[in-house]
Amino acid sequence: MSADVTEVADFLASRAPFRELPRALLQTLVRQTAIRYVRRGTRILSVGETNEVMFVLRSGAVDITDGDGGLVERSEPGTCFGMSTLVERAPSRYDFTAIEDSLLLVVPAETFHATCERDEGFGAYFTSAHTARLRRAVALLHTTDRGGAVLRTSVGDLVRRAPVTAAPGDSIRAAAQLMAAERVSSVLVQQDGRLVGIVTDRDLRTRVLAEGRDPEGPVAEVMTPEPATARIDALAFEALMEMVERKIHHLPVLDRAGGVVGLISGTDLMRLEHNNPVYLVADIEAASDVAALASLGTRIPVIVDQLVAEDATAQDIGRVVTSLGDAIERRLLVLAETELGPPPVPYCWVVLGSQARHEQGLASDQDNALVIADEMTREHDHYFAALAQRVSAGLVECGYPLCPGDVMATNPRWRASVATWRAHFDRWLDTPEPQAVLNGSIFFDMRPLHGAVDLVEDLRADVLARTRHADLFLAYLARHAVGRRPPIGFFRGLVLEREGRHRDRLDLKAGGVGAVVELARVHALLGGLPEVNSHARIDAAARAGSISAGLAAELIDALEFVAYLRMRHQGHAVRSGREPDNFVDPATLTDFERRHLRDAFRIIRAAQQALLQRLPLENLS
Amino acid sequence: MRWWRGGAPDRGIADLELLALDLETTGLEPARHEIVSVGMVPVSGLTIELSGAQQWAVRPTGADGVGQSATVHGITDDAVAEAHPLQEVLPQVLTALHGRVLLAHHASIEVGFLTRASRAADLPVPDLTVVDTVRLQRRVLRLGRTRGHLGEEDLALAAAREHLGLPRYRSHEALTDALACAELYLAQVAVLGEDLTLRQLLR
Repeated sequence: MSADVTEVADFLASRAPFRELPRALLQTLVRQTAIRYVRRGTRILSVGETNEVMFVLRSGAVDITDGDGGLVERSEPGTCFGMSTLVERAPSRYDFTAIEDSLLLVVPAETFHATCERDEGFGAYFTSAHTARLRRAVALLHTTDRGGAVLRTSVGDLVRRAPVTAAPGDSIRAAAQLMAAERVSSVLVQQDGRLVGIVTDRDLRTRVLAEGRDPEGPVAEVMTPEPATARIDALAFEALMEMVERKIHHLPVLDRAGGVVGLISGTDLMRLEHNNPVYLVADIEAASDVAALASLGTRIPVIVDQLVAEDATAQDIGRVVTSLGDAIERRLLVLAETELGPPPVPYCWVVLGSQARHEQGLASDQDNALVIADEMTREHDHYFAALAQRVSAGLVECGYPLCPGDVMATNPRWRASVATWRAHFDRWLDTPEPQAVLNGSIFFDMRPLHGAVDLVEDLRADVLARTRHADLFLAYLARHAVGRRPPIGFFRGLVLEREGRHRDRLDLKAGGVGAVVELARVHALLGGLPEVNSHARIDAAARAGSISAGLAAELIDALEFVAYLRMRHQGHAVRSGREPDNFVDPATLTDFERRHLRDAFRIIRAAQQALLQRLPLENLS
Repeated sequence: MRWWRGGAPDRGIADLELLALDLETTGLEPARHEIVSVGMVPVSGLTIELSGAQQWAVRPTGADGVGQSATVHGITDDAVAEAHPLQEVLPQVLTALHGRVLLAHHASIEVGFLTRASRAADLPVPDLTVVDTVRLQRRVLRLGRTRGHLGEEDLALAAAREHLGLPRYRSHEALTDALACAELYLAQVAVLGEDLTLRQLLR
């Protein structure tokens, strides 16, 4: 029997770095390889994903782009890719997309590493190929002025804590105990205030355990002496290059005088580079307590700021902020359940208002409620009260203030069985009172977040089937929506707040974002449409013929523009340490923005008038 | 009721276990000609596993030796002398086929020779489920047109591969042809839709 897969082996043998491999080693590699086929347009690997294989393009073509879509490399047959996650052991920095139907050789990570170990040239080739690609990606960032955080940040900004240090004469065991106590994976060895070495987890494994060394011996025997370091003012990017080239994961940071100020790891750099919501969600899901969640919560404004700078739409930013808020709230629920034990009866935790609509901003407070299975008894409420208490308090710590209107699951009124919720909705729909309808409108923007989702889905379906016939209810809602006057005055200038704390400021919420949200809600309930997001509601209303397609498109643009200005305003506020609010100083807007803002408000007014014509509201007392 | 090898007929192709097989023979007729080499490579779902690739040269028993067919597959009498007797190779092929769908280009050759060889060796004749890349290629070529004749030349392995943008291979080496067939299959199902079931492949 012989099974030299000659076509594959010959193909590889004609190209670097496989060309230099001994034939036997190459054949071993080929025999561990798999082959896959992808159609044109297939995303093979995305930024932020990890993969356990290296791809070699056998035929076809693959584009390698950075996270912003800039082309880093167009690969031809023979190009290796995807190995950055093997070289760096970190998520991919690139998107890989087949631009032709492509045949891919798939080399498993173990094979890749084993080959690197057995052939030094092979490993070195990939390290330098990887840094070359990285340099191109960074050059691209420079030329397109999309400079990522990794370019703007210095190493000193990344140091999070004072270094954990030992003296050369300390025992290995003492160093290991110190690392365990401080929960770090390396310790810096200092003598007379000078860095002389570093000991990592890996050293303890390979130089102590594997060699059976006496742990009472001095740490100097197992440290890496004179390790590579980074200066405090070096760019994060330079540190990253250093770590990749040297295949190390820890870099001590020195000040100008050569004193040790801390340590950075590859993980710090990856986190920084994207400030990527994906990583943040992963961190949130792994947070072990409220304090950890609270510290992660402080990163949300940074992400918003960055998304604004990257010109993301308000709609997208709202989605990102909401999904981070969702993740924090879900994690709090899981932590609370762990503490309290499983629920006595099924329940669903729901979010309301802007969070339900995927429109959460930085100034959003918490709005939530509990929908509990009808088997619940009075006794069971102790459990749910405790659950709500924990989650609500946790949200406060994570930066979501309590709801001023007390629309929270901690309020016994909003912690109720399905039957009780039905009764609430019946009252709003059947015997509406203007103020009660207004207060209750937030519950029509409801989204199940955690638990028995079907409890809420059934409830919502039943309610939605009825809203369109609830004339008086709709009329009250519509009257309020139409009453939210956009701030455009008689001369079509902008109307500023006349008094109070926000004098001479423009309110972007009341007659702006808020007005559109209410309009969208009226249209949704008028048509019994299940959508909750305002943008989606307006789209659906246009499809249902409730609003003209042209006006709908304009209204969506208006919402996007006002919401974007608001998000930007809030991002700036948080960055400069102020409370985010909805009041913008018109002097900070450009002429262009002011003009557009006037147009946006005019469109909102037009949409309100169109609704007035649809619904006869004059007869309302 | 028929027992399906390699999975129930409604199984999606993403979960299908196949074995791409190619036999090089001294001619096209199982009754008169002989197997001179066997190449095979497993396909698990939409992935070709080179770790399972195998090839054997088979020693013919007939007095004629390789004869004229050497001009096609390049296997000379000298090379054949190093080869294994069919009775050694055949059980390994049948074992590899166990639980897998047979995948071949012009599969009737492989099925015919395997059946004949099993009978001759007094082994149970395998009840094979067969996917033929020639038939799949007909469907690929018909996607874009409603009528028109498809000639042999359109359906040959090399032409089919070229049509789907796959690299050109030196043909008529058993393992290379088996691999070529396996790659062709991946490209074909990518075009035909990866949500196909085995039943739809057999149609």
